[in-house]
Amino acid sequence: MKLSTRLLNLLTAVGCFAIAGIAIAYFLINEKFEWIPEAALELVHEKELLERPEAKRCSECHKDIYDAWKDSRHSISWTSKTYIEASENRTKEKCLACHIPESVTGEKPSPRLDRRDEGIYCVSCHFINGKMNGPYDLVAPPHPTHRNPDYVNSRFCGSCHQKTFKEWKETGEEDTCQDCHMPRTKSRLTQKLPLSLLHKKKWVGNHKFLHGDLNDKNILMEAEFNKKFFNVSLLNNAIPHAVPTADNGDPRLYLYLTFFNAAGEQVDQAKEIIAPQQETALPFNKKVNFRYRLFDPTDQVDIVLKYQPAWSKEKDLVWEKTVRRKSK
Amino acid sequence: MHIVRVLSLLIAITFMISQPVHAKDMVIKEPPKSLDKLYPPQSEQPRWTQQMHKLSTHFGAVFINLKEKDFENVDKHADKLVEEYKKTSEMVPEWEEYFDIKAAEAFAAAAKTHDMAKAGKASGGLGKTCGKCHAEHQVAVWTKYHWPSFHKIKVIDPSSEKEVDFHKFMKQISGSFKAMRVNFGEGQYGRAAKALKAFKSEYMELKSTCSKCHTTDDVKRFYVGGDANKAFAGLAKELNAEKPNPGNFWKNVGLVGKTGCKNCHLTHRTSSMIKEVWEEK
Ligand code: HEC
Ligand code: HEC
Ligand code: HEC
Ligand code: HEC
Ligand code: HEC
Ligand code: HEC
Ligand code: HEC
Ligand code: HEC
Repeated sequence: MKLSTRLLNLLTAVGCFAIAGIAIAYFLINEKFEWIPEAALELVHEKELLERPEAKRCSECHKDIYDAWKDSRHSISWTSKTYIEASENRTKEKCLACHIPESVTGEKPSPRLDRRDEGIYCVSCHFINGKMNGPYDLVAPPHPTHRNPDYVNSRFCGSCHQKTFKEWKETGEEDTCQDCHMPRTKSRLTQKLPLSLLHKKKWVGNHKFLHGDLNDKNILMEAEFNKKFFNVSLLNNAIPHAVPTADNGDPRLYLYLTFFNAAGEQVDQAKEIIAPQQETALPFNKKVNFRYRLFDPTDQVDIVLKYQPAWSKEKDLVWEKTVRRKSK
Repeated sequence: MHIVRVLSLLIAITFMISQPVHAKDMVIKEPPKSLDKLYPPQSEQPRWTQQMHKLSTHFGAVFINLKEKDFENVDKHADKLVEEYKKTSEMVPEWEEYFDIKAAEAFAAAAKTHDMAKAGKASGGLGKTCGKCHAEHQVAVWTKYHWPSFHKIKVIDPSSEKEVDFHKFMKQISGSFKAMRVNFGEGQYGRAAKALKAFKSEYMELKSTCSKCHTTDDVKRFYVGGDANKAFAGLAKELNAEKPNPGNFWKNVGLVGKTGCKNCHLTHRTSSMIKEVWEEK
């Protein structure tokens, strides 16, 4: 045999072994990880991952999840300007628990002492009893994991979103917080090539914790002239918690009404503040009625709904409508 | 362990209370500057408070262990008490003279005789040093470091939608309250009804302030809860009636004033007044 042929054969053999090795590894990791001896896993664990590292460290593998989280309100729960203001430069002791939690377990957490600028970060939500808890039964060579069914339950979020959780529970709806605020897509949990290719694609929840949109499909309005009165009702028919909803934030809806006569001149105006802290937020599936006495002849009412998030001093338009008196 | 802590706290508190404030005047002095670094935001945790818990735990544990005849632990806690007491005495230079290291050492020595009566007697000298400082400074420290400041709270004026200082808002709301009463007194019911609207919306804004310090909604049952809401409804009913009934109107004015304003002032304004004096300088 020629040297080149021999080399080729050798390479083919090595290649075959490598492919077989990768296939076996893939099979083991995705299908039969219980066959991998605990001791072997211990060898490849990265011990520092269990020392409550900052989120950046997790991003070495979980890059996409990290990028989404970095863009979320959770990542700035301690550094948010409006939080700093409301907590009197972070001196109010009662406020620490949910804004810099040690560990989330379904109860109100305790505050932590280290890495406060990370806010509510990976370790707060996933590191319990020395393992990365999550929704899956899987094997992660770099760190121990534990399947914990709490992760797909609303109660998990309710550890801190206590009032919202209570509102949600009272609706009896099945969609969980995660279903709407962490919509899932099929992709990989890690992006560290080439190792991440060894893991099958799975459903990954969006760690931006999407805020959710308000529009005229989920906040319905009805209005009518009734002799000397004008009646308006608002209905939250799609969001299974009050709108807006809050624990310690102060998000608001502002409803503005402007009244005009037949000549198009403004004759009156009114305003409603719809806010959880004032106990006037819109409950799920329950109409809220407002009634205005018309002191002057009125033919048209312009109605504008604006929303102001808890962390902002600006209002965004949700919708605007015009209601005219039906001519006889 | 928890029970031990609770018990020891109770014992220590008994010591504190047993120390009378001698003069009839109580002076509330601003706490010394160097305490700042032992409380947030300069320190991550309220370190002085934590130090107090240590003192009180070791102090109490001496007696509990004496009672249980666990002498090894009696000695351990007696030593720890002296050690922590010394450490505490160095934390705030302005307060150094409140500490009597000799009294602490005398107490430890008495405890180590394992004789309850001796220990009890020697504890008096040490306990007095705790009590004197508490009588002179505890209220001031609570006010400065544990009471949030109303002066730093902003309220949204529901009409202009701009943020205003809390005390300005108080003046505004008391103006609307007055406007309603004056107009009603003059028989100007239309104007009184308008003033009630402004007053009510301002009162609703007050509700938004509670969550800036409180983390449960339960507190909203007070001051801005059921009783006050009923009174507001009563006012609205009279002002929308063809012929308002003055008796009902004034009764509800009184209720709003008492449950909605006065009671909140009684719980919240004392500390605010003290803080205001310190913040003026
Ligand atoms: C039980 C958990 C919990 C506690 C305790 C808590 N918060 Fe929050 N906070 C939340 C949650 C959940 C949100 C997000 C929903 C919302 O807007 O309320 C939030 C949001 C906020 C916001 C709006 C977001 C932002 O960054 O501006 C502010 C301000 C705020 N909190 C201030 C406080 C203050 C001040 C305290 C102490 C008086 C406090 N929080 C205590 C759970 C908590
Ligand atoms: C060196 C790479 C690496 C680093 C760094 C890393 N992980 Fe992982 N992690 C993995 C792999 C691999 C998996 C399994 C992926 C799969 O099976 O699809 C995983 C899975 C997980 C899971 C899912 C657990 C379950 O049972 O559902 C969680 C949660 C998790 N990691 C959290 C973290 C956190 C938090 C950090 C930072 C402290 C971190 N990881 C750092 C590689 C890493
Ligand atoms: C450790 C406490 C904690 C847990 C657990 C938690 N959150 Fe939050 N969440 C907060 C706080 C605090 C904020 C406000 C952060 C800020 O803006 O300063 C917040 C903000 C949010 C926001 C943005 C609200 C806004 O006004 O824009 C959404 C959406 C959200 N959380 C959803 C969730 C969901 C869904 C879960 C469960 C998977 C969850 N949170 C779990 C504490 C928590
Ligand atoms: C507010 C709590 C919270 C924070 C902060 C958080 N996670 Fe998660 N994480 C969850 C929840 C809840 C799920 C389950 C989502 C679902 O329904 O699939 C999850 C799921 C995961 C999974 C499994 C894949 C999936 O989406 O189901 C991984 C891996 C993970 N998180 C890693 C991280 C990393 C890395 C960070 C930091 C960059 C992080 N998480 C921050 C709550 C959190
Ligand atoms: C059916 C989908 C759905 C479910 C389930 C749901 N939400 Fe929402 N959520 C929304 C939408 C849409 C918005 C945007 C409207 C709004 O601002 O209130 C929203 C807004 C929020 C906000 C922003 C606060 C604000 O300004 O109102 C928080 C915080 C929140 N949800 C938390 C939760 C929590 C916690 C749960 C579970 C107990 C949950 N949500 C369940 C759809 C949902
Ligand atoms: C030099 C002043 C001073 C001395 C001496 C002192 N204390 Fe205190 N102590 C304080 C102050 C100030 C507070 C209020 C701290 C706070 O609320 O943050 C306090 C509070 C306490 C508390 C209540 C803590 C709480 O959580 O409310 C206990 C218990 C206590 N002290 C025990 C002791 C004991 C026992 C001694 C003596 C061995 C002692 N203290 C000596 C100043 C002192
Ligand atoms: C500037 C901070 C601040 C604001 C704003 C505030 N409180 Fe308080 N309040 C306190 C403190 C501090 C205490 C002492 C006990 C404690 O810490 O809860 C207290 C005590 C109370 C108590 C009695 C004891 C308790 O905690 O249950 C009630 C009731 C109460 N407040 C109701 C309210 C209501 C209602 C509002 C809003 C209208 C409000 N407070 C606004 C700081 C505040
Ligand atoms: C949260 C509880 C609370 C409620 C409810 C409340 N107040 Fe006050 N009020 C305060 C506090 C605290 C101060 C002291 C503010 C300061 O020191 O800046 C104050 C101060 C005032 C002042 C003095 C303002 C100044 O600086 O000269 C007036 C007047 C007043 N309040 C009127 C009212 C009236 C009228 C009502 C009822 C309609 C009311 N308040 C309801 C807490 C409250």
